[in-house]
Amino acid sequence: MLYYLTKRLGLSAVVIGLVVLVLFSLLHFIPGDPATIALGPRATEEAIARYAEKMHLNEPVWRQFLIYIGNALTGDLGLDVFSDRPVTAIIMERICFTLALVGAGMGWAMLLGIPLGCLAAVKPNSWLDRVTGVLSVGTIAVPSFLVSIWALLIFAVQLRWLPAIGAGEPGQIGDQLMHLILPAFAIGLSWVGYLARMVRASMLEVMGENYIRSARAFGLQPRRVIFGYALRVAILPTITLIGMGFGGMISSTVFAEIIFARPGLGKLIFDAVMARNFPIVQGAVLVATGLYILVVLFSDILIAWFDPRVRESL
Amino acid sequence: MPKDALHSPETLLDVRNLSVDFRTPQGRVKALRDISFPIRKNRIVGIVGESGSGKSTVLWALLGLLAKNADVMGGEVRFGDRDLLQASEAQLRATRGEEISVVFQDPMTSQIPVLTYGRQMLDILYRRPNVSAAEKRRLAVEMLGKVGIPDPDKRIDQYPHHFSGGMRQRAGIAMALLTGPQLLLADEPTTALDVTMEAQIIHLLQDLQKELDATVVVVSHNLGLIAELCDDVVVMYAGEVIEAGEVREIFHNAQHPYTRALLECDPARIDDVSRKLPVIPGDIPDLTKPRSGCIYAPRCQRALPVCHETLPPDVARGETSLARCHLLDGLHHDPSWPPPLDVMTVGQECSAGTKPARAKHDAALLEVSELNVQFETVGPLRARLKGLSQRHVDAVLDVGLSVAPGETVGLVGESGSGKTTLGRCVLNLVPSQAGSVRFEGKEIRNMPEARFKPLRRDMAMMFQDPVGSLSPRKSVRALITEPFQIHGITGVDLDAEAERLAEMVRLPKHFLSRYPHELSGGQARRVGVARALALNPKLIIADEPTAGLDVSVQGEILNLMADLQAEHGLGYLIITHNLPVVRHIADRLAIMYLGRIVEEGRTDEVFARPVHPYTRALVEGVPQPDPDRRRVHVSISGEVPSLLNRPKGCDFAGRCPFAQDRCRAEKPPHVTMADGRRHACHFPLG
Repeated sequence: MLYYLTKRLGLSAVVIGLVVLVLFSLLHFIPGDPATIALGPRATEEAIARYAEKMHLNEPVWRQFLIYIGNALTGDLGLDVFSDRPVTAIIMERICFTLALVGAGMGWAMLLGIPLGCLAAVKPNSWLDRVTGVLSVGTIAVPSFLVSIWALLIFAVQLRWLPAIGAGEPGQIGDQLMHLILPAFAIGLSWVGYLARMVRASMLEVMGENYIRSARAFGLQPRRVIFGYALRVAILPTITLIGMGFGGMISSTVFAEIIFARPGLGKLIFDAVMARNFPIVQGAVLVATGLYILVVLFSDILIAWFDPRVRESL
Repeated sequence: MPKDALHSPETLLDVRNLSVDFRTPQGRVKALRDISFPIRKNRIVGIVGESGSGKSTVLWALLGLLAKNADVMGGEVRFGDRDLLQASEAQLRATRGEEISVVFQDPMTSQIPVLTYGRQMLDILYRRPNVSAAEKRRLAVEMLGKVGIPDPDKRIDQYPHHFSGGMRQRAGIAMALLTGPQLLLADEPTTALDVTMEAQIIHLLQDLQKELDATVVVVSHNLGLIAELCDDVVVMYAGEVIEAGEVREIFHNAQHPYTRALLECDPARIDDVSRKLPVIPGDIPDLTKPRSGCIYAPRCQRALPVCHETLPPDVARGETSLARCHLLDGLHHDPSWPPPLDVMTVGQECSAGTKPARAKHDAALLEVSELNVQFETVGPLRARLKGLSQRHVDAVLDVGLSVAPGETVGLVGESGSGKTTLGRCVLNLVPSQAGSVRFEGKEIRNMPEARFKPLRRDMAMMFQDPVGSLSPRKSVRALITEPFQIHGITGVDLDAEAERLAEMVRLPKHFLSRYPHELSGGQARRVGVARALALNPKLIIADEPTAGLDVSVQGEILNLMADLQAEHGLGYLIITHNLPVVRHIADRLAIMYLGRIVEEGRTDEVFARPVHPYTRALVEGVPQPDPDRRRVHVSISGEVPSLLNRPKGCDFAGRCPFAQDRCRAEKPPHVTMADGRRHACHFPLG
């Protein structure tokens, strides 16, 4: 296990290193002077020279890269071009909003999708199974930004049940939760379908296994057989899917955060790209990648924890 | 059964007129037709039959756990004062596991891999709210100890994959007996196990039945197991009970022609190895068609016109026996039936001639010497981290073996003995680390595939699983002519070749357009033989050629293989764990244990006078289909050790009843005896 963890963490570091390299190269591959790009076409000569000096742009490329890596490792992702505030601080302000959104979106999708998939698999071809099947395909097919807009129109504008924009007043948990409902609904909806279908397929397979028949032959209650035995095995491929899904969800938060004018990593990246605020783009993408790698690593460890055969082979 | 036996107070469970249909795309399969039999208290009842006889369907019907496409068409299952077929789901659930429990066929797949035995056993005891968790655990540990699991208080916290096959089956028995059920059902309890393990499980079941005063129902196709274990026997054929009675009645005085035929076909009962194996001609009838007359009539050697038209009567004999046959009673009663036991009733037409004399050539076809195959167990980096010096296990260790043209060599061993690895290595499918493999004098070990490919025409493999080794999307015609395409042989008429090969393996021509799932096990095996023979090979390596085949069919395949050998001078290397079969077909035997050949010699000599204690254990380990030849003790205990901790001395020392200090210290070298037999034992027997 320790060996496995070391190996996986090492691999993660390599991936993050590659991401840094790509992000860093982007600036150098774009034609023109990075300082001009960073400050925009209307910057003065003086400003450009000052910026180039501050950002070590006069150093050789490999040194610049090492400096960037070294800074990133100490948590210094550079300074915002406009406000001169540290990028790290800006990202940290926003990241919890994104994490809350992704967590809430995936959370409700799991709470609904996994039991739905189970029930559909336990009674295949029942009305519940058919309805779940149709709804799953429907929700998977609808893009999340469309759901966001419609949800905004119906629940916030027409019915006025929920707030339309923002993340709520700082410090007021209730208000923040109210603001979380619509975006979480929008980004989680298609995942209900994904998860229900995935869980149904693996449950159907597992329900046909001999050990499920054994459990029933020993007279265990159906609830215990389904959730304690079958789901325990069938959930394994779903955990991988959820882990990968976090990555996809981080990108769908971009739409949700823009539409609901919600602060967060996605909105931050979007605004920074629009304003050509490269240090922010670099830093935020790096953090998002790191998050994704961490979640995938976590899901792999979770699988190992659930399946003793995997756990011991590590 | 006679009517008075039905209501006897000693009847624990009574099946009456049970009929079950399966809805399939081909129509309604009448899997059970009006079957009745009682299960008497404190007895071990065997339900014996071949595949398709409905024996497992009976078992699942008793538990109310039939497949979803099954319909119970009528009948009763009386258990105490209840009819289990009428019981509600909740009542059935209360019965399962508590009053009626099950030991499953395959312990590798019937225990959930992600829960510990402790958790699984605690779950079974969920209906005991008054018993504390600690007390439940104590009960579970006690039961694990009772079935012979060492250190039960530690092993209860382990998962199924920590247990070997035999240990898993022991744990399965412990789970089934945990609640103290009145009735224990065992579905092919030893089929997935090795011979030495099988003997241990049989004895365990017997001892526990006596100790716990339980009633046991064993479902099996294995006549030896039934004879050794059971008190009463129910014989099923194609969804009907055709004979029932006490075990001695069935094995020594069988009344029904099918029971008679089944017993005669069992290779373990046939001591005369020079004759061909008897077979029951024909196949099990199509159960979707309505029956008229006796279900066995189309295959029966003694069928009369009436047998095809009228349902035969159930003829009772004594208190507890019955057989369903016209020959036994009524107008068509034949006092000369059944004939004495030494008269064969089946396979008369193919018993002509003796085993063909095999041409012995001096030059060996295949010669393997000092062959070593190693498998890597850990990567180089991890081995260094963990400080392991040994990164490999020896799957095949210093093996020497030869096959002459026209000769059959049996390679016998339990699972994990390396016999299949050896076979694959000979065919260059697994790389080897040292030694030599010569085919017709030419060194072929680890030859690059490009150079080896032409040789594959001379060496063919018959794979273990007859149906699974055939591509499900190809017709039989395509399958048996595939070798021509693989080797890019043009200029042959593939249709003509397909017909020639089908005729050679006695497969009717209309089967050529069928697909593997439409074939029975025996037919699929014939296709496998035809594929292997397509390019006129000189050597055939057959991996468990009779595994999964019914007794009445395996004789056909073995006879076919013998005929083809006599005709074409083929050399066979037969890899198997089935000693009775190999005794009939092999000229020489090589016994493998943990990757090493421990004994090698002529088949008759090895059987008559085994030199290595392991060989003796194997020979004695086969349950005999004769209730008078039950063994009183198991000759060896324990199980095959893991390759990862190969013993320092003799590999078998840990289980050998004759082991001495020297055996544990020093690996015995291969010794050739005066009569040409080779063995690896410090203290050979005899």
